[in-house]
Amino acid sequence: MSNPAQSTIHQTFAMVRKEWLEARRDRFFSALTGFMLLAALISLTTGAIALAAEVADFTSAKDLLLSLGKSITNLDAGEFYPLKLLRGAIEQIEIVGAVLGIIVGFRSASGERGRQTLALVLTRPVTHRQFVMSKALAGISLIASSLLMVFAALTIFLIVISGVGLSTDDLTRIGLIWGLSTLYVSAFFLLTLLLCLHLKNPATALLAGFITWLILVLIAPQIGDTLDPDNQVAGGVFKQLHVQKAEQDKIKQGYATFETIRNGVEVASITKHFERASFAVLGIKDNYTGKPLLPILSEKLSDLLWVLFSFLGLAFITIIKPLQFSKLVKE
Amino acid sequence: MSTPAINLTNLCQHYGVHRAVDHLTLTIPEGEIFGFLGHNGAGKTTTVHMLTTLTQPSGGQGQVFGFDLHDQAQDIRRLIGYVPENVRLYDNLTTKENLAFFAGLSGVEDIDSAIQSALAFLDIEHLANKKVGSFSKGMRQRVGLAQAILHQPKLLFLDEPASGLDPLGMKMLRELITKLNQEMGMTIFMNTHLISEIAKTCTSIGILSAGKLVFHGTIAEVNQRFAHEGAIEDLYVNVLQTQQKETV
Repeated sequence: MSNPAQSTIHQTFAMVRKEWLEARRDRFFSALTGFMLLAALISLTTGAIALAAEVADFTSAKDLLLSLGKSITNLDAGEFYPLKLLRGAIEQIEIVGAVLGIIVGFRSASGERGRQTLALVLTRPVTHRQFVMSKALAGISLIASSLLMVFAALTIFLIVISGVGLSTDDLTRIGLIWGLSTLYVSAFFLLTLLLCLHLKNPATALLAGFITWLILVLIAPQIGDTLDPDNQVAGGVFKQLHVQKAEQDKIKQGYATFETIRNGVEVASITKHFERASFAVLGIKDNYTGKPLLPILSEKLSDLLWVLFSFLGLAFITIIKPLQFSKLVKE
Repeated sequence: MSTPAINLTNLCQHYGVHRAVDHLTLTIPEGEIFGFLGHNGAGKTTTVHMLTTLTQPSGGQGQVFGFDLHDQAQDIRRLIGYVPENVRLYDNLTTKENLAFFAGLSGVEDIDSAIQSALAFLDIEHLANKKVGSFSKGMRQRVGLAQAILHQPKLLFLDEPASGLDPLGMKMLRELITKLNQEMGMTIFMNTHLISEIAKTCTSIGILSAGKLVFHGTIAEVNQRFAHEGAIEDLYVNVLQTQQKETV
């Protein structure tokens, strides 16, 4: 192995392969993937049941009109978009997927630290950066494969329960969201890996990972809805009070600072950007339903870039930050 | 004159105000079995961490086979093997899988043959396909040694290798160390606080106390000064007491 580049590839491959081998034997990773899959499928089933109830209502209304000898031309049948059923599954990936990322990151780093195998690895002719990069590559590829299983199962389930075949456009959209989900979940993985490789105590790193998860996944995205003044009354305050658009804007100017902060907190969360992009691409949000993909991608470019740059930024810091072995060894 | 295996000049490792290793000057020629003796916390492991390039020294100079500790870490790593205290490997993987991983990292070309040779040398071929998670301390120690010699390093670091081993395990380890030195020509650097191990295995010793080297010499020299069975023990107590008096 005289060629250094070739040698680096072999070493990286050896480290990634080892991580895969360990994950394959580790029931914990399979259990987590299984749990995420189950949660996503349950959400999909719940959505399908709700849709079936709507269809049943429509059918009974149609039958009633027909039995009364009335016309059904004014009865809006609506259009069925199977991808809309993925709403719950996307929400599960937002929450459970992020947890999967955190746990994979924690186990990847703390496993080496706890077993003291780090010393054995770092006394080989591999650079610290190469070691961290291999860990990152292995974790990201594991997450991608785990999500691939989830999305494949969701697609098959979607076809089965909807009874409608998915078009190439639908499959492209699902594929795109699988990629976006991989970036989103991997961002949490990288964050925890980074913390675990640089904090003195891995348990503190895990705690910090979960606090970040709590803020980014559960609190910040909800702030938008909860603190939006217009959302304080069902259907919207302005709509209920019949306030015209011009008047609305004038009122809103009175609390512009509050609105800027509220929106700022909301958009600071990677989860919100992931959700906005996913809901738009899959046509889950009504204003994107049935729209072609390219204009949606163009409109949601900032959300897509936010997820991508969060991932890239964390990957860059994780790989570039030098490891301090004395901090990582067991006391 | 050949390049010494280890050549240190005023090597230091400071953690804040604490001097874990304090101006260590030491030369170990190639082919030695060097015993590094000292109390727990004397700075032995800190020294090994610097010599194995796990940590950067705070000060001083050091070379391993002529390669500088500060900026030739990769070259040093190609020449060394390391077995830490309480060696633990990847429990879910078999011995062979563990060794294949470390061989891959070391850039070994023919991995299967290297594994086979290491297993045969250590007489643990029967453990090849068993998961290491179920192994006893002694078995783990042997697999730990196997991972360290796969790439046939010129210098092997052993950190408290006898710790936790039963008398039979200790005897086997001693034989292995001698075999590695004599048959494979490895220079051995062994940290220990067990004087009996030093006397039976090493060709030279160094005594470290509070980060300072208080004695360095060959076993023959020690035996000359203390010509009876408890020679090293006497030397150890003697030099430490002298140093304590000087400190007071």
